[in-house]
Amino acid sequence: MRSKTVDRLLKSTPKDVEIFVDLYADLVVRINQILHEKDLTRKDLAEMLEKKPSEISKWLSGDHNFTLRSLAKLSAELGEPLLEVPKKKAQTEFVEDGFVCSLHTFVSYTKIEANTAGKIWQIAEDTEQSNELSYAG
Amino acid sequence: MNTFALEIWYDEGAVCSFYTVRCNPDDDDALSETDRFFETYAVPEHPLEDKALQMFRLITESIGNKYGATDDFFDRVENKAQALPPKPKQWLEEVKDLGINFPLRLYCYRVSEHIVVLFNGGVKDAQSAQESKNLSMKFYEAQTFVKKIEESLQSQLIVISNDGRHLKSFDGTTDLIL
Repeated sequence: MRSKTVDRLLKSTPKDVEIFVDLYADLVVRINQILHEKDLTRKDLAEMLEKKPSEISKWLSGDHNFTLRSLAKLSAELGEPLLEVPKKKAQTEFVEDGFVCSLHTFVSYTKIEANTAGKIWQIAEDTEQSNELSYAG
Repeated sequence: MNTFALEIWYDEGAVCSFYTVRCNPDDDDALSETDRFFETYAVPEHPLEDKALQMFRLITESIGNKYGATDDFFDRVENKAQALPPKPKQWLEEVKDLGINFPLRLYCYRVSEHIVVLFNGGVKDAQSAQESKNLSMKFYEAQTFVKKIEESLQSQLIVISNDGRHLKSFDGTTDLIL
């Protein structure tokens, strides 16, 4: 069930607004998850980033727009990827229960200790898969 | 405040249903408080249309369809009266802002991670909601709605359905007039 206003807005919200908000929400949730998993407080994170705790609160409470630079710093200090860019388009598409399902494969690179011969990059054994759903009407 | 209807605003998301309140329960054509908010700001040519659409997407997709009403998406609204003991079990909250100086505030009440009641809101143009001319009335109205809804839940005049996604009257009906 939906109100008439909801119905109108679901049909008229621009795609770029949808993508922006979805990414923003995913980032805020993921950062909060990592802090929880690593038993870190915002104060701890502020110290790691040499920032004021109030600045970290702004990031996590939505008062601060993320920039690529701030995301890179956060990702480096938390030791977890926050953004992953797909290398190429969907590999597989199939229709199920009225939805078009796209199967993507992301490759994650993990840097390992450099040896005397130089830098070595190793492809992680486990790759992450995600399904993207879009309504087929 | 007279009676108001508590009705579904949007319940098609996978994880969270949204209710709203309508101040004229006898007039089926009257807009709910949340529709009034979005019909004010999420309209073409309004300078805050984009912000209102962002908030709409956060509610319907991120909260409604993906994560549910978790702490990530809500801020507790501090109020002098609320801060005095005894503290209420539930608090009036607002949907979290998106980005620097996000101007819009939408008041709400989280019944659970799967049910949220949305009210009205407005533009925050001062340090506190009470000082914000556009928001102060909506703020006090929302507090009144919360008080009445909370009392009805505590006295079990309204209860949560078995699937955890809806509210119903103590006698099983879905017409909720408080």
